[in-house]
Amino acid sequence: MKKRILVVDDEEGLRLLYKEELEDEGWEVELAASGEESLEKLERDSIDLVLLDIKMPGMDGVEVLRRVKEKWKELPVILCTAYPHYKHDFGTWASDAYITKSSDLTELKQTVKDILGKRP
Amino acid sequence: MEYDIIEKVSDLAASDLPLDSKLAEAAGILLEYFPFDQCLLYLEEEGALKLRAEANGKAFAVKVYAMGEGLPWHACETGAPVEAFKAPEAASWEGIEDNGLFGAGHALAVPLKGSGRVYGVIYFKSAERKPLSLPKRRMCRIAALQVVSLLRCAQLSSDHRRVYDELLQMQQKLVDSEKLLALGDMAATLAHEIRNPLLSIGAYAARLRRQLPPDSPGLKYLEQMSADIGRIERIMNGIIRFLKDNAVELKTEDLDSIADESLAIFSDEFLAHNIRVERLGAGQKLPVLADREQMKIAFDNLIANAIQSMENGGTLFVSTAFLGGFAVARLSDTGGGIDPRYLGYIFNPFFTTKKHGTGLGLPIASSIVMRHKGQLEAGNEGPGAVFTIKIPYAGARETASITPAS
Ligand SMILES: Nc1ncnc2c1ncn2[C@@H]1O[C@H](COP(=O)(O)OP(=O)(O)O)[C@@H](O)[C@H]1O
Ligand SMILES: [Mg+2]
Repeated sequence: MKKRILVVDDEEGLRLLYKEELEDEGWEVELAASGEESLEKLERDSIDLVLLDIKMPGMDGVEVLRRVKEKWKELPVILCTAYPHYKHDFGTWASDAYITKSSDLTELKQTVKDILGKRP
Repeated sequence: MEYDIIEKVSDLAASDLPLDSKLAEAAGILLEYFPFDQCLLYLEEEGALKLRAEANGKAFAVKVYAMGEGLPWHACETGAPVEAFKAPEAASWEGIEDNGLFGAGHALAVPLKGSGRVYGVIYFKSAERKPLSLPKRRMCRIAALQVVSLLRCAQLSSDHRRVYDELLQMQQKLVDSEKLLALGDMAATLAHEIRNPLLSIGAYAARLRRQLPPDSPGLKYLEQMSADIGRIERIMNGIIRFLKDNAVELKTEDLDSIADESLAIFSDEFLAHNIRVERLGAGQKLPVLADREQMKIAFDNLIANAIQSMENGGTLFVSTAFLGGFAVARLSDTGGGIDPRYLGYIFNPFFTTKKHGTGLGLPIASSIVMRHKGQLEAGNEGPGAVFTIKIPYAGARETASITPAS
């Protein structure tokens, strides 16, 4: 079975972009437009990895991360951030990886591959 | 009437006149009051008594008495008024040589003494002997005290002016740094808003590029687009480093080793551009309260600029030292220096003279240094530019050296 990634980002353009790019890599992709929606989807669907934007209106990425790790300890989470220095923030320590947002998606794809194993 | 003189001299002390005008007027007032032909005011400067003011300057006056010379020094040394009665044609009195005594039958030297030090002498002379009543003699001492307080007033107000000027300068620097930080915040917000759409444009351009057939003419347009988007992204990353909430984590760090580590990162570049590095260490640890990673970014930006100014070779001098209560790092290069017309602008965000520059290196470096309560200064020296980072020293032995000599 293909492994499934949940992409959480409030920007529609980026959600679609991540979906297409990650599907090209052979992963299955689910989308959520907000922190709240992502938690609902996690309850319903089986998800192998969460790709989480930090800066979202409403419930932000750090809060989502906290709740995810409370409920699904083993579920890996990649934080996407605009700040190159976010690692200093305690709230983000629980994530399995974090990447700096960039139009070059190589780092993102590589990180996903590292976490989910070489083969989907 | 008798006490007029006190009032006059104190009025003078409080006035706005420059010191030399005050002294000249004081000499005039003294001469009006005491029955002499001439009144000279000598002040002690660098171990000599120098003539600073005279009333009735037509008569001969010695300009400078070297240490120990003449009646004025004699008065300074005794610490009390010295009065001489003599034959006018002699240039000495009781074994004391003094060319100033030539032509004087009566002379009186009153030391200007106050709070344990001698500031100078009031020197009265006249051709004939003048009777001085006891009250006048007493008055003479009081007048001397008045002149001393005039001198101290002048000194205080010049100290005051100097401190005031320094404050003004510091305030200007603060205003500048506030402006820079405010501008940084605005730019950071902007960068944030631009970042996501930019990411989307760039990544879709990359997707499109992959989907076009390899011989498609559109391919090179897309490549150009991607390259330019990459460039904007780099600028945005630079701006985001300004972020206020990107707070510095201050720990005791050694500035000496921070400089070394930053230099080490560039070793390949130094080689590639034929740049020699001369490193003069402090010979001791230079403890400062610093965020090591941030401080390295500041150094990186300065080193990168130096390398860019010496693409065809040169020397980079990097010295670190403990100086006047600061840990100081100095980077100078031989890359031709900064055009003096631009010296006032190089710390402004986006100011660049380079084709592919971002103009963010120096503003980032200076905002980092400022967050460490330090200063970053730029200038030219010899064949290149010199940048100086000063951070308050956080070592144990600073108290003795930081306290300014009073
Ligand atoms: N070491 C140096 N030698 C000569 N000019 C310099 C040096 N460092 C900085 N400058 C000048 O200051 C400008 C601003 O520098 P900076 O803020 O780092 O931006 P950038 O390097 O992207 O131009 C440079 O474009 C250059 O004109
Ligand atoms: Mg630069």
